[in-house]
Amino acid sequence: MKEQFEPNVVAFLCNWCSYAGADLAGTSRIQYPSNLNVIRVMCSGRVNPLFVINALQQGADGVLISGCHPGDCHYMEGNFYARRRFTLMKELLEYVGVDSRRFNMSWVSASEGSKWKDVVQGVVEKAKEAGPFEQFRRNKINW
Amino acid sequence: MNNKPKVGVYVCHCGINIAKTVDVNAVTEFASHLPNVKVARNYSYMCSDPGQLLIREDIKNEGLNRVVVASCSPRMHELTFRKTLAEAGLNPYYLEMANIREQCSWVHEDRERATGKAKKLVAAAVSKVRLLEPLQEKEVEVEPATLIIGGGIAGIQAALDIANAGFKVYLVEKTPSIGGRMSQLDKTLPTLDCSACILTPKMVDVASHPNIELFTYSQVEDVSGFVGNFQVKVRRKARYVDMDKCTGCGACAQECRLSGRIPSEFDVGMGKRGAIYLPFPQAVPAKYTIDAQRCLFLTRGKCGKSPKCIDACAAGAINFEQKDEMIEFKVGAIIVATGFDVFDASRKPEYGYNDYVNVITSLELERLVSASGPTGGNVVIGTGEEAFVPKEIAFIKCVGSRDKSVGNEYCSRVCCMYTAKLAHLVEEKIPGANVRVYYMDVRAFGKGFEEFYDRVRREGIRYIRGNPSEIFKRGDKLVIKVENTLTSTPMEDEVDLVVLAVGLEPRKDAREIIDLLRLSQSADRFFLEAHPKLAPVDTATDGVFLAGCAQGPKDIPDTVAQAKGAASSALVLLSSGRVKVQAQISFINEATCRGCGFCVEICPYGAIELVTVNRMGHQVSVARVNEALCKGCGACAAGCLSGSSQQKSFMDRQILPQIAVLGVMK
Amino acid sequence: MVDLEKLKNVARETVSRDDVKYLIGWRQGTYGFRVSPHFVKEPDEAEKLIFSPLCTNNLATYLVLTERLPLLRGEQPDSRKVALMVKGCDSRAVVQQLIEQGINRESVFIIGCPCEGVIDLKKVEEKFSNQPGPVQARWSNGKIVFHLPDGDKEVPKGEVLAAKCLSCRYPNPVITDLMLWEEVQTRGSDEYEDVKELEAKSPQERWLFWEDKFSSCIRCYSCRNVCPMCYCEDCVLDRLNPAWVFRSNNISENTAFQLARAFHLAGRCIECGECERVCPVGIPLTKLNRKLAKEVKEKYEYIPGLDPESKPLQSSYRPDDKEDFIL
Ligand SMILES: Cc1cc2nc3c(=O)[nH]c(=O)nc-3n(C[C@H](O)[C@H](O)[C@H](O)COP(=O)(O)OP(=O)(O)OC[C@H]3O[C@@H](n4cnc5c(N)ncnc54)[C@H](O)[C@@H]3O)c2cc1C
Ligand code: SF4
Ligand code: SF4
Ligand code: SF4
Ligand code: SF4
Ligand code: SF4
Repeated sequence: MKEQFEPNVVAFLCNWCSYAGADLAGTSRIQYPSNLNVIRVMCSGRVNPLFVINALQQGADGVLISGCHPGDCHYMEGNFYARRRFTLMKELLEYVGVDSRRFNMSWVSASEGSKWKDVVQGVVEKAKEAGPFEQFRRNKINW
Repeated sequence: MNNKPKVGVYVCHCGINIAKTVDVNAVTEFASHLPNVKVARNYSYMCSDPGQLLIREDIKNEGLNRVVVASCSPRMHELTFRKTLAEAGLNPYYLEMANIREQCSWVHEDRERATGKAKKLVAAAVSKVRLLEPLQEKEVEVEPATLIIGGGIAGIQAALDIANAGFKVYLVEKTPSIGGRMSQLDKTLPTLDCSACILTPKMVDVASHPNIELFTYSQVEDVSGFVGNFQVKVRRKARYVDMDKCTGCGACAQECRLSGRIPSEFDVGMGKRGAIYLPFPQAVPAKYTIDAQRCLFLTRGKCGKSPKCIDACAAGAINFEQKDEMIEFKVGAIIVATGFDVFDASRKPEYGYNDYVNVITSLELERLVSASGPTGGNVVIGTGEEAFVPKEIAFIKCVGSRDKSVGNEYCSRVCCMYTAKLAHLVEEKIPGANVRVYYMDVRAFGKGFEEFYDRVRREGIRYIRGNPSEIFKRGDKLVIKVENTLTSTPMEDEVDLVVLAVGLEPRKDAREIIDLLRLSQSADRFFLEAHPKLAPVDTATDGVFLAGCAQGPKDIPDTVAQAKGAASSALVLLSSGRVKVQAQISFINEATCRGCGFCVEICPYGAIELVTVNRMGHQVSVARVNEALCKGCGACAAGCLSGSSQQKSFMDRQILPQIAVLGVMK
Repeated sequence: MVDLEKLKNVARETVSRDDVKYLIGWRQGTYGFRVSPHFVKEPDEAEKLIFSPLCTNNLATYLVLTERLPLLRGEQPDSRKVALMVKGCDSRAVVQQLIEQGINRESVFIIGCPCEGVIDLKKVEEKFSNQPGPVQARWSNGKIVFHLPDGDKEVPKGEVLAAKCLSCRYPNPVITDLMLWEEVQTRGSDEYEDVKELEAKSPQERWLFWEDKFSSCIRCYSCRNVCPMCYCEDCVLDRLNPAWVFRSNNISENTAFQLARAFHLAGRCIECGECERVCPVGIPLTKLNRKLAKEVKEKYEYIPGLDPESKPLQSSYRPDDKEDFIL
């Protein structure tokens, strides 16, 4: 058998809930796979849907957007906009044949350290199943 | 200036917290080869004084102009290191942190993997830090005054606290008098103090306080500006009575041709007033008001030969020429204390509130038991010949509360206890009265509540668990159909009077305030606080605070406590005199903006507006961010198709390299 | 019924008005079944106007494409109205432009042409190839008549109409200042069969389908340029800093370009099909755009370009929006 494929997942986390939740997982020393790397933004509403296309193009095998639960957004409405945008982005990606396991969204609150672990495990697992996404690669850092 | 980025990377061991799992030397070595990196070091505790000194020295000696600290979460120490940069004379926003502790060394055991991930995180941080721009932290001065909307107990308490602290208060009340719902109550639970006795002195204090400017019969028409600098417009409605001349003698009201013919709002229809009236004897200000919708002279242009009030008023205070007056002023903070409405009982038609005179609401009963009420404190139902004193009395609790069918899922929090109070008062007032309470649950959670509940039960008030399904008339009696859910027996109960313990609802005119101040509502439609636990009096709009039932149902003690909280929050603002505005806010590239207004709609804080600018002679509309209102969420930036809206420190061009690094590096 | 005389008269009257800058309509092109936009500034130029099954172009694009040349100091911008002839689908573009504040209602005079469906040029050229001279066409009793050099040819609509017209829900302009003739009947309903057909395939098949299509894209940007909704001063897809898509013509960049374009049109594309019509390599862009149109309609009950007072989809939300896929 080939060497185990290690997927590469890029995640966008809002500062107030999900990033804090991920920090809590850390403080609680909850272990999870190291295949996911986080970009911190202030709000899930900041995540430009084109970031997702870009991440997949740049080499991510999976993408995760995570924000506060609906109604808990630090900025009241940001995650509502995010939800609409990424619902549509997900549909679009699937429609052009991007494996649906590559795109994920979650609500993780600042107190959900263990949910964060579950989310990471799930997302990494799914990206692993989906395999490397070479067809769409750009493979070049635009420093 | 700092054209060419010179980056310093500082990898922290955090004792062994990081160093145990992450090979800090390897990460440092790796970082030193990244583009634009001038210095890369590691140290045991970057946040310690010597750690920070390391950064400061390098900034001076090596001419660094960007800093990456790879250590704990930025939520932990971003401010610390920003200060470090500032102390070394570098703009504090030239900092980026790589979180290699909470999100790396603490969550991964495999040293090789953790080190690999740390390298990626550092590289991503370097890719971003090079593109960061210096940001200015602005401060604005705070106007040392507060607007309080609503003159119930919440507004009164907050006004007194702030005024006593030496700051100016503008208190705006919609009705002719302050006092709110509390002034309609007879006794207050659980101690049964007379409501007027504890409230009236406070109302008088408000009227006479040198720091409080009171606008009754007035409405806030417009609020613009932002925390520290709100511009307020208030409409003072015409009362047709000169406030300076009126002595409050009431001669006019006695003479008014409509005297005793108009249902009194204050007595919730249980009593009558004239077209010129004082809502209740202890009203503050004790000045009369003409009801322009009813007054014969104002509606028909004629009131007998001449208006009787004019003839009666010795002070010559009546003035039919009076006009609404607009008043403008500036404040630094705003407290919303607009209170609640009681649930409209006719929305539960099965209880026959519209059909039977002897089905009344709790608030109506409050007026009946009040010594200064329309019946002088006697519980008499009906008028004239038909008036009678009920003997068999039933209370039904949770009317319009905890009831999804009317859209109110929440508990109104006061009905359990005021029912106990009213039951007690009725039994006291009507000798031989037989009182029972139909309930779903009894929630006696407050100080002294359980004791009071025990007391009324000992007094003989019966509590029957069951939610009546229907009320109808049989002979002289009302029949309540209900199932006793403790014994599972359906029953019919014949009574003379049904009192509906109506719940508390958001005011029907709450929308006005929402639009004025851009407040949000929680699921129960009351105004939403900034955080349910940690910021219960703040709102999402900086400088706007909530007090009392406007934020959710509560009793008087809680209302007063919250009012004091809101007052102290406002005072923090006023006494510090300055507020910082966010630095990592959004801005619009007006040259590429297409004026679509998406961002305007998206912004949760109304911080963006479309303005007309001149583009080579043409008037075009573009978006513009009000820097004092923007909170830096970036939702506008993600929603702008043309990429014209960008959030400082989180610009597209600063994030894309991060994505590239994290994607490409394996 | 199309009344060409009325059309020309209205055009003459309209451009004679003091508050009208010019009128945009259609005229016969120089060869085959082609049609050109016709800018009428003077009344006598109205003579050339036509309205026929060949008038596929969505002229609403020109409302937002008008070049604003720099003005000299003191020179006043020409603030007169632009008069525009619209079919049903075109009118939705105008409405959407109003929703997005791309134009002002006062700055346009909308002349509605209820439409019985326009041709798919490819289908027609296949049927009647090699037409060096201009060929006119008209509707007649549910058929389309082509005035070919060798005599009139009657063709059933089903054989030559554009796909969007066969399932058109809005053949009558939804916003007008003046309607030229009586409204026509709505043709059929739209169940997004074309989209569903592709959805039914496996992800792998779908990827291959689009890979094949996108790989032939020459990145001419015609699809974007013709789109009445793509009127950003400076399109993000053109930008170098940040570069969302690189200039390289390969499957990665081409796909990213099309995904970004399609996404930007979510809840905005009014399905006029212009992008697909102008694509020189025949990429079925409508099939892509309509996927999002379908989702927007099903998930958010939103149909763009109908109500000028509605809020744009992309800048609105409902607290109870569906979220079944969110973890
Ligand atoms: C039947 C009944 C019995 C009760 N019994 C008790 C009891 O025994 N003990 C107890 O602790 N609590 C009791 N309560 C609860 C008590 O009434 C409330 O806790 C208290 O009144 C809340 O005060 P508030 O200032 O928040 O609101 P309110 O009393 O409603 O005051 C709000 C004020 O704001 C004004 N206003 C509203 N909108 C505007 C506007 N747009 N502009 C200007 N002014 C505006 C209103 O006119 C009003 O004067 C009872 C409630 C009811 C219904
Ligand atoms: S969304 Fe973008 S283009 Fe539209 S008004 Fe706002 S900044 Fe301008
Ligand atoms: S960043 Fe957020 S708060 Fe600031 S203008 Fe944009 S949407 Fe409004
Ligand atoms: S994307 Fe194509 S079909 Fe949609 S509005 Fe633009 S040109 Fe018309
Ligand atoms: S693709 Fe997007 S940015 Fe480009 S013109 Fe169209 S809407 Fe504007
Ligand atoms: S018109 Fe066709 S070829 Fe040209 S950029 Fe668009 S999809 Fe590509």
